[in-house]
Amino acid sequence: MMLQYWTWEEFSLVAKKLYLADPMKACVVLKYRHSDGSLCIKVTDDLVCLMYRTDQVQDVKKTEKFHSQLMRLMVAKESLSVALELD
Amino acid sequence: MVLLESEQFPTELTRLFQKRWLLSSAYVTLKKYDDQTKRIRKKGTVEGFEPSDNKCLLKATDGKKKINTVMSSKEVNKFQMVYSNLLTANMDGLKKREEKSKSKKSKAAQ
Repeated sequence: MMLQYWTWEEFSLVAKKLYLADPMKACVVLKYRHSDGSLCIKVTDDLVCLMYRTDQVQDVKKTEKFHSQLMRLMVAKESLSVALELD
Repeated sequence: MVLLESEQFPTELTRLFQKRWLLSSAYVTLKKYDDQTKRIRKKGTVEGFEPSDNKCLLKATDGKKKINTVMSSKEVNKFQMVYSNLLTANMDGLKKREEKSKSKKSKAAQ
């Protein structure tokens, strides 16, 4: 099941929830096409796939921040809520 | 598929972006890493022994060349900044939205 989001706020919220529901299954994919000038980010748990596409520079920073946040969540042993509060 | 040390990964990732970005896509994948060999040995114990739940797998490809690395919390801390800068610096072919930047400037002025 593929769901595409049009606002970053919605996407990041749902994507984070999806990851927290099953951290082992969730997977984040970033696809960058320089020729198109587009960036696509997908988060999936093999059941649902959430997608956000953009061609805006301002979204690059948000995407990269989100990516880093999830990376930190994945390696955190404890206090997940602390990592979330950084948002 | 090339498994790299986390220190080499940023360099190789930069090279990957720069080499082929004009022609095709660049993919970066992030997933939580579970040391499966340990799981198989200790089927009964889900929690406890050596959970290895503090690692993540980072992969990158341009469609042809593949690189990946496994990182633990220490390594992530070290390379957080490097990665952020790397991604931001390389994904710079996108459009700028002038309206929003103007509104930001006016906010800053206030």
